[in-house]
Amino acid sequence: MYYLGIDIGSLSCDAVLIDRERNMVATSVVPTGARNREAIAMATEFVLSRAGISRDKVKAVVSTGYGRDRVEEKLTSVTEITCHAKGIQSLHSGAKVLIDIGGQDSKCILMSDKGTVVNFAMNDKCAAGTGRFLEAMARALQVDINDMGDLDAGADGALTISSMCTVFAESEVVSLIAEGAGVNEIVKGLNRSIASRTVSLIKRVVPDFSGMQFAMSGGVARNKGVVRAIEEALDYNVFVPEIPDTVGALGAALFAIERSLQ
Amino acid sequence: MLKDYFENLEKGIVSSIQEQGGKASPRKLYSLEIARVGKRLYSGTNKVAWCGVTAPFDLLYAMGLTSCFVEFVGAMLASTGMVGDIIEVADHVGYSSDVCSYHRAVTGAAIKGLMPRPELLVGTTNPCSGGLGVIENLARHFSKPLFILNIPQGDSDHDVAYLAGQMRDLTEFVSTHTGNKLDRERLKAVIENTNKARELLIEVFDLAKQSPSPANNKDLNNFLISLALILGREECVDLAKAYRDEFARRIANNQSGVEGEKIRLMWIQNRIQFRNPLEKVLENEYKALIVIDELNDIAWDPIDPDDPFEGLARRSMSISFNGTSFRRIESLKRLAKDYKIHGAINPCNWGCRQGTGTRGLIEAGLRDIGVPVLNLEVDCVDERKFTEGQFRTRIEAFMEMIQSNPSPWQ
Amino acid sequence: MSNQRNEAIGYACAYTPLVLLYAAKYRPYRVLPRTESQDQAGLHLHDNLCPHVKRILDRAMGGDLPELKAMVFMNSCDAMRRLSDAWAKVRGHDRTILVDLPSISDSHAVRFFAEELRRLGRSLRQWSGNPLTDDLIREGIHEYNRLSRALSTLAARVHKEGGQASLQEAYIKAATEPLPDAIRFVDGLLSGDMPAKAAGQSSAIFLFGNILPDRDAFDLFEACGVHIADEDLCTGSRMFQPIEIPEGEDLYLGLSRAILTRKPCARTFDPARPGQIAFDMIESAKACNAAGAICHTAKFCDPYLARLPFIREVFRKEGMPLLVLEGDCTMRSMGQHRTRIEAFIEMLG
Repeated sequence: MYYLGIDIGSLSCDAVLIDRERNMVATSVVPTGARNREAIAMATEFVLSRAGISRDKVKAVVSTGYGRDRVEEKLTSVTEITCHAKGIQSLHSGAKVLIDIGGQDSKCILMSDKGTVVNFAMNDKCAAGTGRFLEAMARALQVDINDMGDLDAGADGALTISSMCTVFAESEVVSLIAEGAGVNEIVKGLNRSIASRTVSLIKRVVPDFSGMQFAMSGGVARNKGVVRAIEEALDYNVFVPEIPDTVGALGAALFAIERSLQ
Repeated sequence: MLKDYFENLEKGIVSSIQEQGGKASPRKLYSLEIARVGKRLYSGTNKVAWCGVTAPFDLLYAMGLTSCFVEFVGAMLASTGMVGDIIEVADHVGYSSDVCSYHRAVTGAAIKGLMPRPELLVGTTNPCSGGLGVIENLARHFSKPLFILNIPQGDSDHDVAYLAGQMRDLTEFVSTHTGNKLDRERLKAVIENTNKARELLIEVFDLAKQSPSPANNKDLNNFLISLALILGREECVDLAKAYRDEFARRIANNQSGVEGEKIRLMWIQNRIQFRNPLEKVLENEYKALIVIDELNDIAWDPIDPDDPFEGLARRSMSISFNGTSFRRIESLKRLAKDYKIHGAINPCNWGCRQGTGTRGLIEAGLRDIGVPVLNLEVDCVDERKFTEGQFRTRIEAFMEMIQSNPSPWQ
Repeated sequence: MSNQRNEAIGYACAYTPLVLLYAAKYRPYRVLPRTESQDQAGLHLHDNLCPHVKRILDRAMGGDLPELKAMVFMNSCDAMRRLSDAWAKVRGHDRTILVDLPSISDSHAVRFFAEELRRLGRSLRQWSGNPLTDDLIREGIHEYNRLSRALSTLAARVHKEGGQASLQEAYIKAATEPLPDAIRFVDGLLSGDMPAKAAGQSSAIFLFGNILPDRDAFDLFEACGVHIADEDLCTGSRMFQPIEIPEGEDLYLGLSRAILTRKPCARTFDPARPGQIAFDMIESAKACNAAGAICHTAKFCDPYLARLPFIREVFRKEGMPLLVLEGDCTMRSMGQHRTRIEAFIEMLG
């Protein structure tokens, strides 16, 4: 018996399949595109084929994310806030504060000792500091986005990026390149800019976070440079799971177990 | 256009009531009275006064004026779905989109000729600087006389005396510009109605406090802020009585406003004025009820009908937006405790400096008593900015959070 | 005596009755927004509150303040009220007072504000342990009028010859440093040569609005070809206007009237003349023979946002070019304005 969680975000649709013992059996990530239902079908098909199981072996499906109402065969839908908290707790049970930075939004979730959501804040009105932001900067720097995580090596961190907006930050980066600033310094400046915004978001949720354990999820968590910058800004380590993109879908799959037992 | 709108609205509600054999829910009676406010404003024959939120509407009624706070126009336009085009008019003449949409809507409406020409205007420094600026602009636009009520932030005797003195001056101002003299007996009768309505409304809110509450999410939406426009009239007393009687009946029949009520919420400041899925989501998916709106709170004492000016002054100073944020937070905490709420929603209306300026302090204050707060960051009037997906996600996540944590009242 | 003007009391608004703080033997210290402050204020305040109050709170949160014996807030606008609330949270140990400020200047308002000034006076007496006598207040008025005259003389010269950055430096010293030092600085400038004007074409501009304290902003204006022929800012000439009190009038009443009837911020107006600020500004622009005008305000400033469309309309009707800039009160946004300012001057050229 298996349980499926599907996270339909605005950029990617993630699926996680778990077994009765809550072990992760398979995952899949596909671009959402313009047609949610096709993306949902594709993510489901891929995860089942990777697991080598047929659809009838899936006992329950829970959906989450922006497009959660579009999954037809779901048991229920749960918001991505609650699912991310659930998911990260199963990967790192001491986590109190989760930072999730995805393709175009970011959120911070404060969890209780039991792993329930106690407070949260979302920034989904502005893409600054998200995956889109980093894509734009990678374009401006003419580097591969996947290499950005290591490009701050050797930078002393003197350079700051003052623009808050993705569009203006891109102009600023272009100007800095023209003035001869090193790529590593620019990347470090960008990472610190993201870290600074992240810390502001965290403080809105939990003004005093001393002694708390941090975790991070979302595609941007793959960027080691950003994670390092956030750790420096917080002065705390940040746990990043092996597959940070699918934490929400994992949480949804865990809810599929719980809700089907109710 | 709006004259017809309100006349038709009134006719529609009246005939609907007649079809139901003369029986009407109190909310329907409320809608009828609001329609009549609109009809009086747009009649073309009544003497209109455009005002700030804390103007003494009953005093102005006693002096023969049909008065209204300007933000009412913004709210009304938003509820009809017409507001986007009207705000655009204000945008095009240079009003910044950083400004509160209630005020941009009012400005656009004035430019388009959708605001009835007033006899005079009465600005109030409370609740906000932006609102006062709009009133000044309207006075210039209409070339009509303007009176300003400076609402003191403190509550000392000298503060009350200052405002009471201004209100006495206001009656002379009204007389000078309308020819209507202050009739003391009429004022006395009006204030007596105000006091009667006040008593009944306190009963209404006491009944609403019950667990489960007899109120549903619609019943008390925009309630007291709109009723301020008919305070002093017999109709207000009758309406308050209808609400009181209906809530009492529901309690006697074990009828809760939201069947199977599970979650009780406080709504901070103003509701979202355009059509939105909030009430449906709350009731259908979470059995949740907005059991108390911050603005549905009577924090003023009965007014002396023989010498009402001090009482009227204290009333204008009593609203939770006056004074410090700490005063407001104490008021919110009191309401949270009285109504046993599980969570509070702060819409954080875009551009509202006075109301959301200390959003962080308000959240911290309520968290101190274990009440979580959702900061929605929504524009309550400009529907064009509404993104349903993001809105729903925040509301639903907040409800999920409340469901999975212990109640602060255990 | 518990102090001899070595101890500072902070303030945040140009409507603050500095004379009373001085008479209580304190050094008035205006907490001005700083470019380098870290953004923290959004934790307590909303992000869409004006950057003036946010930056002031940032300084409090960052510990970037001299030792202040108290903080005086004026209820000049919603943002200031909310700042006073947040300040109480951030610096709960501070003595603070919020002085109410009417929006108009009729006789009731003058009397009410006089009572508020008396209330401030009582707090000042309590904090300092010193009496606050009429003689001390008269002395304060005398000294601030001396400063005001010196600054006016300097301004008249600067507006003819250039050197607005030095004038701005004088305003800031007057707002933050001991009064004798400020007067000495102004006298020093008056007795010397003004710095040479930047080479190149410049246009006479009337600058008005609210918060722009940084002297570098005025260097930037000059570098862009702006010659400030006159100015009306609350971190500039509006801060130190003369106080005339008729012989025999109660000092608090006189001070109240002087403050309420001085050249105003947009938050103060005459209900009998709505929109007058637009006419006052165009008159000032014409009076200094400006080729154009620049209005610089803090972003999210409701009193100015409400009046700007009519101001634009009046300037347009009078054929006076107007550039409207909204900033964060520091050099961060001024840098972004450079292109606009240069283009405006080119247009006037």
